[in-house]
Amino acid sequence: MNCDWVQENIALYLYNELADDARHELEGHVERCAECSAELKALRVFHGEMNELPQLEVTPNLLTSSRMRLVEALETVQQQRGWRWALDPMALLRQMRFSPALATVIFIVGFGGGLGTMYRMSAALHSSMPSQQEASIAGIRNIVQEPGSNRVRIDYERALPETVQGSVNDPQIQALLVMASRSTANSGLRMDSVDLLRQKPDDPAVRESLVYSLRSDSNPGVRLKAEEALAPMVKQDVRVRNAMLESLLNDNNPGVRAGALKALATVSDDTSVRQALTQLAKEDPNDFIRQESSRVLAQAKSAE
Amino acid sequence: MVGQGPSRVNDAELIRAAQQGDHAAFEELVRQYDQPVLRLAIHLTGSEHEAQDIYQEAFLKAYRNLGSFRFECSFYTWIYRIVSNLCMDYLRRKQVRKEDSGMRTSSEGEEFDLLEQVPDERAGASPEHDLARRELGQRIARALTKLSPRERMVFEMKHYQGLKLRTIGEALNTTEETAKNTLFRATQKLRAALADLK
Repeated sequence: MNCDWVQENIALYLYNELADDARHELEGHVERCAECSAELKALRVFHGEMNELPQLEVTPNLLTSSRMRLVEALETVQQQRGWRWALDPMALLRQMRFSPALATVIFIVGFGGGLGTMYRMSAALHSSMPSQQEASIAGIRNIVQEPGSNRVRIDYERALPETVQGSVNDPQIQALLVMASRSTANSGLRMDSVDLLRQKPDDPAVRESLVYSLRSDSNPGVRLKAEEALAPMVKQDVRVRNAMLESLLNDNNPGVRAGALKALATVSDDTSVRQALTQLAKEDPNDFIRQESSRVLAQAKSAE
Repeated sequence: MVGQGPSRVNDAELIRAAQQGDHAAFEELVRQYDQPVLRLAIHLTGSEHEAQDIYQEAFLKAYRNLGSFRFECSFYTWIYRIVSNLCMDYLRRKQVRKEDSGMRTSSEGEEFDLLEQVPDERAGASPEHDLARRELGQRIARALTKLSPRERMVFEMKHYQGLKLRTIGEALNTTEETAKNTLFRATQKLRAALADLK
């Protein structure tokens, strides 16, 4: 090992990027060589100086707002279709259930079919376009001109207003409620649907939807309702616990944070929960959260 | 913190579910990796607003192209590859526009001098020391802008983010050796720019 090699690799030594044997040899060389020893010292000073640069850090607010913005944007984004779609057409159908507009059309058309509107639908396949009074056109899917004629076949979607009534236990009703809870347009609808879904938190799809609402809904009222529904699940479901922890640490609404704290108090023996509570008890700007975190921690310790 | 708890779900399962269009699985992946991504973006841009844009674009790009993810590298490396490219594009555009003066932009779009925001609370801090520290900060910020986007990227990923050179090489679509040489060049340039401080 010579001085040239040391000078070239001394930065890697400081960044812990050298293999153990090279590291050992370099340390030995530096002890014997004044020039390389001075270089190591200078580089350490340089590292110290570079660490003096003040940097913006990621605040919980910035992280939460970035996540919310992303979740909103994802609603309108589709994955690029590659060869996978050709091999797995079901994947396309699974993808569709997350496109609210298309899902609504599929559901309504399917449900309408079940209720005996087949006549009108099959008529639409063969006849000319119905008037706007009868139906609204949700989208044109395909246009095919018959060769050698002026005849054209157009496939299109019709969104017909429909009403459905049933028990909240009915899977179709639940599917509609889950869909409504993810609608980004109307917070009142989201609130109502989450309120009804609270009755069925045991259902995996409903629970997943409630977790989604707690994590991502822009309306604190909706998040609170989802939180209330999920609170009894924190013991048995780690995904729910994680969502609660995230709300406790990052939600910008004190009410939602207080609710999460109350729910998590029942699982204060969990290491992640305890870690979060310790941090909050020490430095949270909100008096209530700070005091309550200390109280829950003290209670947990006395119960041990 | 939360994402690194004992419940951390296997990445491969989440990726496969997300490839089938499962938004919740993709959001779970985002939560596991988004803090370092945002941190890298905010360090390089010095602006919450720009960092949010890069964050958003990186994960949307990842989602759109998830179908082409073949598990040849980790999701961690893959997302770093996307965000590194976006950050380097940003640095190239910025280099064309103007030099970095140490001014930063808050999420509300207001410009402020980052160096003014950090009080020196260490024992023995004096106005003279404070001033010297600010000057040093400004010189470092200026020296960093003299690096090429790739050098800046490698230095940031190594020095401030603590990534392994192997990961940096993979993220920048190059070899570990090239990343090492780039780091060496960046270090030499920065040391030369700060040399007369001694």
